Amino acid sequence: MANLVNLIITGLATGAIYALVAIGFTLLWQTSQTINFAQGDFVMLPAFFMLPMLHAGVPYWLAILIGVILSMLILGYGYKKLLVDPIRKHGVLPLAIAGMALSIFMQEGVKNYTAEAHVFPALIPNLDFHIFGAVVSAQSIAVVVVALAVVIALQWLLNKTLVGHQMQATAQNSTVARLLGIPVERMVLYTFLINGALVAIASALVSPLIFAKFSTGNIMGMAAFTAAIVGGFNQVRGAIAGGLLLGVVNNIGSAYISAQYRDAIPLLLLILVILFRPQGLMGRAEERTV
Amino acid sequence: MDTKPILEVKDVVAGYGRMTILNGTTFSVPKGSITTVIGPNGAGKSTVFKTIFGMLAARTGTVTFDGRDVTNWTPRKLLEAGICYVPQGRNIFPELSVRTNIQLGAIAAGKNITDMPDRIERGLDRFPALRRKANQQAGTLSGGEQKQLEVVRGLLLDPRLILIDEPSIGLSPMMVTETFAILTELRGKGVSTLMIEQNARSALEMSDYGIVLELGQTRIFDTAQNVLNDPRVAQLFLGGTTN
Repeated sequence: MANLVNLIITGLATGAIYALVAIGFTLLWQTSQTINFAQGDFVMLPAFFMLPMLHAGVPYWLAILIGVILSMLILGYGYKKLLVDPIRKHGVLPLAIAGMALSIFMQEGVKNYTAEAHVFPALIPNLDFHIFGAVVSAQSIAVVVVALAVVIALQWLLNKTLVGHQMQATAQNSTVARLLGIPVERMVLYTFLINGALVAIASALVSPLIFAKFSTGNIMGMAAFTAAIVGGFNQVRGAIAGGLLLGVVNNIGSAYISAQYRDAIPLLLLILVILFRPQGLMGRAEERTV
Repeated sequence: MDTKPILEVKDVVAGYGRMTILNGTTFSVPKGSITTVIGPNGAGKSTVFKTIFGMLAARTGTVTFDGRDVTNWTPRKLLEAGICYVPQGRNIFPELSVRTNIQLGAIAAGKNITDMPDRIERGLDRFPALRRKANQQAGTLSGGEQKQLEVVRGLLLDPRLILIDEPSIGLSPMMVTETFAILTELRGKGVSTLMIEQNARSALEMSDYGIVLELGQTRIFDTAQNVLNDPRVAQLFLGGTTN
């Protein structure tokens, strides 16, 4: 039982990171029908922006902050201007395939520079403490707290500010948004910048757990994609629920069934959801006009 | 009534991709009037509206609003100039609240409009259903209520010309009467309306002028009464002869 509590909390911690990545993934889809197949590699890269700074003695928080800003510029603004804008007009599929190419490019690019797994410093020192007899890692709690704060800030932006309302309007009906004079292109750019920030924060949170390595994007991309589908592709809250669920199920499954099947569990979850609830746990069915 | 036009569409050519829908479309809307455009499917009625409102580029030709050349202006600039466009179908943001939906109609408002919160509340007061559901998701509104929301939203900026496409589609007869009554009331305040309507007879009965559009060309432009009584129109669009 005590073990189970610990498994759930560490599961929630990884799940919260998945959720951040999945939120960015669904935001891009909602506002610009971009399916970013390089999303996992977007999580891999910012760690390599931050590591050289950390090695050079830049304070932890400053290195993270600069990493987030760089990520917003390169993986947000640069990705949109250099890849998405030129290709988007040719359709959703070419853009998805370009994303796969970008993924390979990013992995191989980083591999050329360094193929090793690098230790990444954690948010807080790894202390364990006891709650009701269960051993809980403080690091896991810190990850959940940070991810939660980011999600709350994002929800506040989307639901309580005029810019957020305009972003949601763009996502829900871009034609009408344009008719009302909402600067649709700028709103789409904002979602790319937000995605850039989310993947960088996820990178800083996940790299201490799984090391910084060129190939971490594979795990993170699969997890984000699964979380988004499981939760409901068109809902931010779906991405949150999907991420958390995936993290917990993954952890419990590998502890009680077999660690060998760890990577199979998300796929199993994905198949079950697609079979029985294709719109996702919290998603709404999308109407398709013929 | 002042017969100087509020809107003039002259020799406009526009279309989608290589397809040309409007091939030299020309007509005008007299100031302070309700003018209804009728015509068969594919005549280019909705395309004209999209072109006037900057959603589709006019390849050649001009659109003049109140004496100003507004050809290919962006929707935002046209909103600021005083045109509002209510397209066909449901044009709301289903997951935002009714009030937020209306507030988003004020995005293009100039800084000289300082009473926007008041205007929004007055708009809600005008339709009891919207007031009651102000904090609900707009997707929960009925079709007629959604149209009411669009009308309230469109009127926030005090437009001088309303482009309204098929307002009666999917609405109950009572809602249609109500929508037409609002347009008539606005005419009393000097607001002009250009309307596309499938329900040609009842639309023409409340209109001042009628335009018959066919293959992107103006076939008839006359007073609504004369259009109603025109035997060609009667046969084509009104379902049999008039009495």
